[in-house]
Amino acid sequence: MAWSPSNSHIAVAGPGPVGGVLALHDIDKTFDGFKALQRASFIAEKGQVHALLGENGAGKSTLMNVACGLYGADAGRMLVDGEEVRLSGPRQAADLGIGMVHQHFRLVRPFSVVDNVVLTGQGEVAGKNYRRAVEIAAKAIVHHAAALGRTIDPFQRIDSLPVAEQQLVEVIRALVAGARILIFDEPTALLTDQEADRLLNTLRNLADMGSAVILITHKLTDVKRFADRVTVMRGGRTIASVDPASLSVAELTRMTVGDTAEVDDAGQRHYGRRRLEVIDLACTRADGTHAFSGVNFNVRSGEIYGIAGVSGNGQAELAETLMGLRSPNGGVIQLEDAGESLQNATPDRLRASGAAFVPADRYRYGLASGLPIADNFAIGGVINGHYGSWAWIRRRTMESDAATAVKDFDVQGIRSLNQKAALLSGGNAQKLVIAREFRTSPTIVVAQSPSRGLDVRATLAVHGRLGEARDRGAAVLLLSEDLDEILKLSDRVGVMSAGRLVAEFERPVDRQEIGRAMVAHA
Amino acid sequence: MHDMTNVGKSHQSDIAPVAKKRWYRGRLSVEVRREIGGWHQAAMLAGSVLMGLILSGCILVAAGVPATSLVQEMLYSTLLDATNLRTVLFQASPLILVGLSAAIAFQVRFWNLGIEGQMIFGGLGATFVSLFDLGPDYARLPLMALAAILAGTAWAVLPTLLKLKLNVNEIISTLLLNYVALDLLFHLVYGAWKDPKDGFPHSALYRASELLPVLASGISSALVIAAFATATLAYLTIWSRAGIYMRFIEANPSVARAVGIPVQRVILVVVLLSGALASLAGFVIVSGQEGRLTQSFFRGYGVSGVLIGFLARNNPIAAAAVAMLMGVLFVAGQNLQVFYSIPQAMVQLIQALIVICVASSDFLIRHRVSWVR
Repeated sequence: MAWSPSNSHIAVAGPGPVGGVLALHDIDKTFDGFKALQRASFIAEKGQVHALLGENGAGKSTLMNVACGLYGADAGRMLVDGEEVRLSGPRQAADLGIGMVHQHFRLVRPFSVVDNVVLTGQGEVAGKNYRRAVEIAAKAIVHHAAALGRTIDPFQRIDSLPVAEQQLVEVIRALVAGARILIFDEPTALLTDQEADRLLNTLRNLADMGSAVILITHKLTDVKRFADRVTVMRGGRTIASVDPASLSVAELTRMTVGDTAEVDDAGQRHYGRRRLEVIDLACTRADGTHAFSGVNFNVRSGEIYGIAGVSGNGQAELAETLMGLRSPNGGVIQLEDAGESLQNATPDRLRASGAAFVPADRYRYGLASGLPIADNFAIGGVINGHYGSWAWIRRRTMESDAATAVKDFDVQGIRSLNQKAALLSGGNAQKLVIAREFRTSPTIVVAQSPSRGLDVRATLAVHGRLGEARDRGAAVLLLSEDLDEILKLSDRVGVMSAGRLVAEFERPVDRQEIGRAMVAHA
Repeated sequence: MHDMTNVGKSHQSDIAPVAKKRWYRGRLSVEVRREIGGWHQAAMLAGSVLMGLILSGCILVAAGVPATSLVQEMLYSTLLDATNLRTVLFQASPLILVGLSAAIAFQVRFWNLGIEGQMIFGGLGATFVSLFDLGPDYARLPLMALAAILAGTAWAVLPTLLKLKLNVNEIISTLLLNYVALDLLFHLVYGAWKDPKDGFPHSALYRASELLPVLASGISSALVIAAFATATLAYLTIWSRAGIYMRFIEANPSVARAVGIPVQRVILVVVLLSGALASLAGFVIVSGQEGRLTQSFFRGYGVSGVLIGFLARNNPIAAAAVAMLMGVLFVAGQNLQVFYSIPQAMVQLIQALIVICVASSDFLIRHRVSWVR
């Protein structure tokens, strides 16, 4: 260990003033033999938004988890304000002013905003009794929110707040606890475009007020627009640290992923029969509110039908209904090939009729995170008898099939097929879902926001698979809030607004018209 | 400050300011394991049992049992003495069955706390066949077993359907139905089924053909039933399609449903199987141990079953092993009470210690704990 007992301030190598408010040098981190980080280095400056860019699984989150004390590094040095530190855990990191806003919020949902802030017991509320702490925290929350150009009611319950505001609570909590180095892990993944812009402006404000802001992301446009500096990671290594203004988006892309090819879209299509038809479908949510009604559309063989709309206009419920996870209040789902007309579709019946699903929430409906990759891949084949009868499962075949599929679908980060699915990064988890769903060449595909949270390369792979399914003659239904995705893939586009299908467009579609339809009826 | 490490910081002022390596530098690191091998896991469990035994040994020595005779009492006189080994196996058979019953229900996230009620119905079913002289002598025992299974399984139907159709919490419904079953048992043994010979509240003694036979080696055939049940369940969970279905339901019911597993049907069948195993345990006790329907033959087995299922992490083979360990503890406890006048409370303390040790090994199995410098 490189520290000098007599004068630790100059123990740090390098001439002149010590670089950066937070510096990580040559960090190594290994998980059971898998090198997640290899000599990764990173320096964040005060008053800057510093982006950490890379694909899923490049090691961005791991590196920042080391910085905020969640993981101990195997080797390397960490300096805060030029002094070498060794963190005993997140609390000590917080004491040093390092706060992290995780992708999945760490908030107590039934508690109020102010209680969540008081719970940290750090910074402005440290050592106060509960009543006093609540007073102080409530004031501080309003103050910090105002400074960021936002407003928030400190006595609202977390679960009554929209996602974007919950995220704001995370930011403010870190600020009240005294954070001056703020790490954001993919903060825009769960937000709509407008919300994301607002958040990124908030980050800009934070930096302008003197904090060091670290933004973990794989969105190149965000980096170009908001970051002062960008460090690119690939395969656990930090590749470069540059000024994003000096590079074009194309150059940044090449740095993060190497070379990528766009999906080449052939013009002419041959549509077949209506494989999936929805007639007068209606659904109410559990709390009695109206989710969607009077929805009619059909998807033909060899076609991708896109459903666009601003989030929260009934698309999520429609997707769940079509996957058999939610029972409709009225209307029917017709599967022409199977000769079935279902009023109450269940996943097993839909699947038996040749349907495959790519759900938006991978760990809610896609993968059992605690079970091995092989089981998660093979479960479809187990159910339809491909891997043996009721009495006997052919495990050997199952595992060799899984090994092949994982290779074919380029699922990375796998060290063993018996490894839990939870350990896959988002993009690779989605690839595993698709590997399973497309194993049997389904005739109907229902995909809901299939590229949400994925990096450029994984998104391309997912889009490629959907295109292949279409070319094979499947009827593909694509529900997405990402208009670019809809426009790129769809042959026809339906627009949902306030629970109704308000417009339908044939290819080639005009982006402006769709945009108008999305908001006109709201 | 040179160093933010909490450990050893206070020592720095006493030590001359010379940089030297100190073993206590660093910190305890706890990480979630990504994977763990079967053997590693088994070794951890064995280690934790050993730890529990060592701690128990210390307590016993403190209580005045000579250290030299500890091994004798714990090991030789339970497992290596033929009579005591028979007692262990005799005690273990119904424990294995209730342990399996709990383990399999837990696998589909159904908290079957109705094991005792299902055992009572098993006893009632078997006794019904005996009292009404159904079937010829040679078919009597199979008929009793069948009646026991039918009655106990039927008793499990109601809470299962309540759970599946109306989402009624099974912890409450199964637990309360135990009291209903108990009252029915009392109603019968204090009334119509009272022993006509002595007038006590239990049924008449079963005839010879209605008792579970003792095999040539002196081991009750109940053990054969328990072993068969263990093997069947192990096969089901490891190699059958139902096993994979159960693992998915255990891991995440909504994923299981979304990938097309008939979740409701699997839960129904598995819980009924759990009820059948509990009622079989009831049958094994009335016909193999008590020889009649008594008013307390099921006492304590519900809790034991849940405990065994939990410690075995719902694995059937582990459940059988844990049940066997419980049998050993039971017999060793009896011996200690008799020969060293150790109080009953201390015997329970020792049993609890071993259970806690095994339970806490779970943490080490899920996490990797190491010293990082």
